[in-house]
Amino acid sequence: MSVLKGKPSTRSVWTGRISIGLVNVPVKAYTMIKDESFSFKYVRKDDACPLKYERVCTLDREVVPWSDVGQAVEVRKDEYVVFTKEELDALRPESNKKISLRKFVPLSQVDRVFFDKSYVLVPDKSEDSYGLLLEAFREKGLAGVGTFTLRTKEYPVLVYHYRDSLVLTTLRYSDEVVDPRSYEEIGKVQEPTREELDIALKIMENLTGDFDVTEFKDTFKERVEGLVEQKMKGEVIAVEEPKTEEVRELMTALRDTLAQLQKT
Amino acid sequence: MTRVRFTNLDKTMYPELKLSKKDVVEYYIRVAPRILPFLRDRALVRTRYPDGIQVDGFYEKDAPSGTPDWVRTFVKYSKSVEKDTHYVVCDDLDTLLWLANLASLELHMPLSRVADTSKPDFVLFDLDPEPPAGIGEAVEAAMIIREALDERGVKPYVKTSGRKGVHVLIHVKPIYSFMQTSGYVHEMAKELAARHGFIVSERRQTNVPGTVLIDYPQNSERSTVVAPYSLRAVREATVSTPVTWDALPSVRPFDFNIYNVPGLTEDPWRDIWDEPQEIT
Repeated sequence: MSVLKGKPSTRSVWTGRISIGLVNVPVKAYTMIKDESFSFKYVRKDDACPLKYERVCTLDREVVPWSDVGQAVEVRKDEYVVFTKEELDALRPESNKKISLRKFVPLSQVDRVFFDKSYVLVPDKSEDSYGLLLEAFREKGLAGVGTFTLRTKEYPVLVYHYRDSLVLTTLRYSDEVVDPRSYEEIGKVQEPTREELDIALKIMENLTGDFDVTEFKDTFKERVEGLVEQKMKGEVIAVEEPKTEEVRELMTALRDTLAQLQKT
Repeated sequence: MTRVRFTNLDKTMYPELKLSKKDVVEYYIRVAPRILPFLRDRALVRTRYPDGIQVDGFYEKDAPSGTPDWVRTFVKYSKSVEKDTHYVVCDDLDTLLWLANLASLELHMPLSRVADTSKPDFVLFDLDPEPPAGIGEAVEAAMIIREALDERGVKPYVKTSGRKGVHVLIHVKPIYSFMQTSGYVHEMAKELAARHGFIVSERRQTNVPGTVLIDYPQNSERSTVVAPYSLRAVREATVSTPVTWDALPSVRPFDFNIYNVPGLTEDPWRDIWDEPQEIT
């Protein structure tokens, strides 16, 4: 089992209850997925003055305050249908503070490609009923299917047991996922010969192992952080060129030699 | 895998063989396990050929500007130039590759280690043939020296110089001065010169055609010998290569080179570090 290293959130994104028939379990939802990818701030190059975005009218270039901003749909080029806040609110799903689980399915039966974002559900002064639900999920290995409204959007969700907790995962709608076979090239894939296949299988067997996500690191982020430290110390940064084919070949030889040196 | 930032790897080093700096770096990567034990703890002198061997190279003793801080250096006062020299000490793979990336084709090692540079741990018989004598005559002289050392109970090792010469080395306990080791070689050289007409023992005899000089003054604190497994800056990209005494008589000048040395499986000098010897 991979070690999960994300820092827990301090604030929940949702509070409400899970309901199954007449049973209600109050819970709070915390984000389980942390976006740790690196992002730069935009500044003016010369003096590092930070930049900000403003909503500007495309005709008169005036800045438009938030109070004057409305939402619209472009029906034809330069032709907009504007909605009032009241009209939109009436369209949006009711945030009924409830996750109704109407059906239970084997978790393994749900296609992974539909999985979107995961949230940890923690008991909200409901340790008893939460414990009961958790144990029932654990024993059955089933996932509850229902809907969940977060802010202004409704999602299909799964609720299931994961690492001694109840976890909620939002699912994508079927029109958001592409069937890979709809790409023409997939239909033109050639059948291999038995000999080719046997060799490929042998290679795969030799490289079979257990999956460990901790083998992967965001090296771009690490390198940026290293450079930031150097720059703060006032060091001059030598720009490293991307590795050439030659360097990659050297690295192969280097790997063998390092292994040999380690043995002796 | 390495702290070295490789640069200009496509630069031509040996134009006749179309070998680039990448080939040189790869060579040193592959022989690293064998060459490093000889370079370790020694103040290295390099011959660098930044523009390849067709342009004159230069001897380098001082660590060049821009030497990374992870490269070990050894400071020694030089009387001749009246200042400190910061030698490079190559203890590890990264340093070796850094040197290779600087186009240091030839690596020359002193016969003593930095712990006490006045006490050699190698005694060297540098055999230098004068045309028309060539490697054949140098090999013959080496065989004669081996026999003479054998009688004294000393076990010598032999390598090609990568040019026309042959180097016979004895790994000794670091208890002698260079005065003693050069004296030892000089005495033997004189003795052998008296018995064999083609062997000479004095530098003033260097120009006598067809002779082999046993260059005993090479046993000095300031002198260096090309390291075993170092490349040579000659057209054929030869390597100064350790050989067994059995294989020595059939050695031809260009037998060992950048192409075949990395693949050598046997180490003729396997036992060289076992027991440092005494020469009394």
